[in-house]
Amino acid sequence: MSDTTMTATTTKPPATSTRRSSMTGWVLHNVVWIWLIALVVIFGLFNQYFFTLFNLQNIMVQATVLGMIALAMSLPLLVAEIDLSIPANVGFSSALGAMANTDLGLPFALAALIGIGAATLIGFFNAICITKLKMVSLIQTLSMMIILQGALLALTQGRTITSLSPGYVWIGQTTLSGWPLMPIVFVLAILGMYVLLRHTVLGRSIFAVGGNQVASNSAGIRVDRVKILSYTIAGFLAGVAGYLLASWQMAITSNQGSSYLLYAIAAPIIGGVSVFGGRGSVIGVLGGVLLLTVIQVGLAIISVPSFYVGMIGGIMIFIAVAIDAVRVRYFG
Amino acid sequence: MTTAPTFRLEASPAARTVLRVENLGKIYGGLVALRDVDLSVRAGTIHGLLGENGAGKSTLVGIMSGQRKPTSGTIYLDEKPLAHVDVQAMEKAGVFLVTQEPMIIDHLSAAENLMLGIWPKRRFGFVNWRKLRQDAERMLKGTGIAADARAGALDAVARRKINILRAMFSGGKVIILDEPTAALTVDDRAQLFDFMRRLKSEGVTFIFISHFNDEILEICDAVSVLRDGRYAGGSEDVGSLTSEDLSELVLGRGLVLFEREKRQFSAGAPAVILKDIRSGTLDVPSLAIRAGEIVGVTGLPGGGGKELARALFGLQRASSGTITFVDGEARTLPAHPAEAFADGIAYLSDDRRKDGSISQMSIAENISLSAEVALARGAFMNAEQERALSQRYFQSLGIKAPNSEVAVDTLSGGNQQKVCLGRVLATKPKLLMLDEPTRGIDVGVKQDVLRIVDELSRTGVSVIIISTDTDELVRAVDRVLIFHNGRIREELAGEAISRSRLRNLG
Repeated sequence: MSDTTMTATTTKPPATSTRRSSMTGWVLHNVVWIWLIALVVIFGLFNQYFFTLFNLQNIMVQATVLGMIALAMSLPLLVAEIDLSIPANVGFSSALGAMANTDLGLPFALAALIGIGAATLIGFFNAICITKLKMVSLIQTLSMMIILQGALLALTQGRTITSLSPGYVWIGQTTLSGWPLMPIVFVLAILGMYVLLRHTVLGRSIFAVGGNQVASNSAGIRVDRVKILSYTIAGFLAGVAGYLLASWQMAITSNQGSSYLLYAIAAPIIGGVSVFGGRGSVIGVLGGVLLLTVIQVGLAIISVPSFYVGMIGGIMIFIAVAIDAVRVRYFG
Repeated sequence: MTTAPTFRLEASPAARTVLRVENLGKIYGGLVALRDVDLSVRAGTIHGLLGENGAGKSTLVGIMSGQRKPTSGTIYLDEKPLAHVDVQAMEKAGVFLVTQEPMIIDHLSAAENLMLGIWPKRRFGFVNWRKLRQDAERMLKGTGIAADARAGALDAVARRKINILRAMFSGGKVIILDEPTAALTVDDRAQLFDFMRRLKSEGVTFIFISHFNDEILEICDAVSVLRDGRYAGGSEDVGSLTSEDLSELVLGRGLVLFEREKRQFSAGAPAVILKDIRSGTLDVPSLAIRAGEIVGVTGLPGGGGKELARALFGLQRASSGTITFVDGEARTLPAHPAEAFADGIAYLSDDRRKDGSISQMSIAENISLSAEVALARGAFMNAEQERALSQRYFQSLGIKAPNSEVAVDTLSGGNQQKVCLGRVLATKPKLLMLDEPTRGIDVGVKQDVLRIVDELSRTGVSVIIISTDTDELVRAVDRVLIFHNGRIREELAGEAISRSRLRNLG
């Protein structure tokens, strides 16, 4: 009896130490989700309303546009580049599609396609500048962002466009027995991105190019082509986000989309997409998007005075990023 | 009176231990990198550190220099145990690590690089440029490096010297050199060794990491050998050892050096015919390689061997040239590596750090990376076949790792090279070109690599090995082409391939 106790005590220390380290590893790897659950509980304790079905639906709708933009943002990040013009592209293409519908009187489907098509072309154009003209993506897309913000203002002449046709706003306004339809687009986009990154040659190439561009080229990957496709798909997703934004808000303002810039960069990074490229997952991006949305909605619901919302939200993002930095430091 | 004995002790520095480690252990995740290592280094000596890739040399010097934290064990400096070990503490104590990749900022001058971070300051934090220049000139005297030379224009040996001098000037007493001779020519190496001997006579202690027995025998006073993270043996008197003794310590068994059974090729049709290959200074009017032949290509850097391979692989634009395989028509050279792989041409770069594996991807993903396009069903990857392919090369190449899902950056240099080799072999090339395939990898893995290439050639693959390693050329190839100024200057075959002939390339 005493013998068995002896063995138990002598073997225990290494066992617990390895368990503890793998436990911390697990916690740090899933920090987005743990932080998300913790915040949901905290907000719920402050205000019971947070747990209602209506609020859940609200969070899903809110997360959709941010989510689409964050997915778009992840692609250039994964190939170790960046596209700062994506939120401006969302705003510009959103206005372009809506005005094709209201001012030119085109059918809503065609108008929406014009918006999405323009956004896709802008993504493609960015990629050509970066790959063929060897422009630095940070500066090239920054200038594109300013151009598109200006173009949006020129296009709308400062007006807010509201008279969108019922067909145009259908996707953003329809509910099925109380459940909004719009988040389905986000779910489809997540599934599509997951398949793209995990199961296609392009997806594998995206990670390879982001990890080591020179070695990828020597491994027979056409690096320029991979980057062009990444930016073009990102542009397409931005166009869809712009259409959804117009349809959901039923209005186009003269600074449409701009407010998403920092959140759209923060969400993928919080979700584990490396700013140096080659690392990241769709599930992580989803976590980042939900986390940011819950922070925004939660702070509104527990009626934090609006003067503090920005600051507290920023601190919460800061904590998430700090924990992630610790994870990268200890667990790669 | 009381100080006299102390003085006498210091007068014989060879007896004094300057750096000692005891029971040193390091665990990464679950992997044991070092286990109970005891080692002591005497002041004013050059102490060799020898071992295969992955034996724990880099981990050990990483801990000694404070860059990595030991899991267990103690470090003693001048026989005093150190409570806190980090880079600042170790540098303050005079222990400096000079890494394999010299930390040099290309657009600064030699003098500025020398004083990087230790700029002589004037009041208000301004740099005292005059003093900087004077100090730098004093330090550089006799090294053949001009103080105002742009660092980017300096050769490899000068860059390493600058790093060593910088360590010394920062108060370095013990300077750890991590494979300082990698990528150096024979002359450069001799120059570096003279430089080290000079500094040793001024009282500097060196810890010198190398893969090469002859280097250890040439320059070291003492040697310690690591094997699988343990201290495998060593000697305070290197003069009493032979190269065989060292190899036996490194590998733990008598080393069998690979020797290819040289093949005679009949006058039949060659498997690969190259015609009019021109690219920059490269000019190869005609070259034929037989099926199963291993052709060694050598010469001075820039002579044309590497350029030929890169042009054939589509990494360097060629102004003219065709390649004909035995069963096909003459084709123009590929414009991109993707086309080269599709044509059955594969190339492995010598720059393993920049142009090797994708370090954050797994072994399996790296192995299948170049072959996946051929396996894919449309846009989708063929996961099953890819896994089978990766698994096959993971096993047949004997890659040392828990499994093939491990990220490549956790592997040692030699095993990373095997992963890269697996990647190009997985494309089933007809013409395989390897650029310095064994440089910087240890003697055990080197034999593995040469053996793998030999076996591959027996299946009919034509191989080109670009190498400056005379030993490798003598033992592993059927024919040697010596390049000079972009042209094939000389061709050696069979018995004519000799060390003495190849050493003298200039």
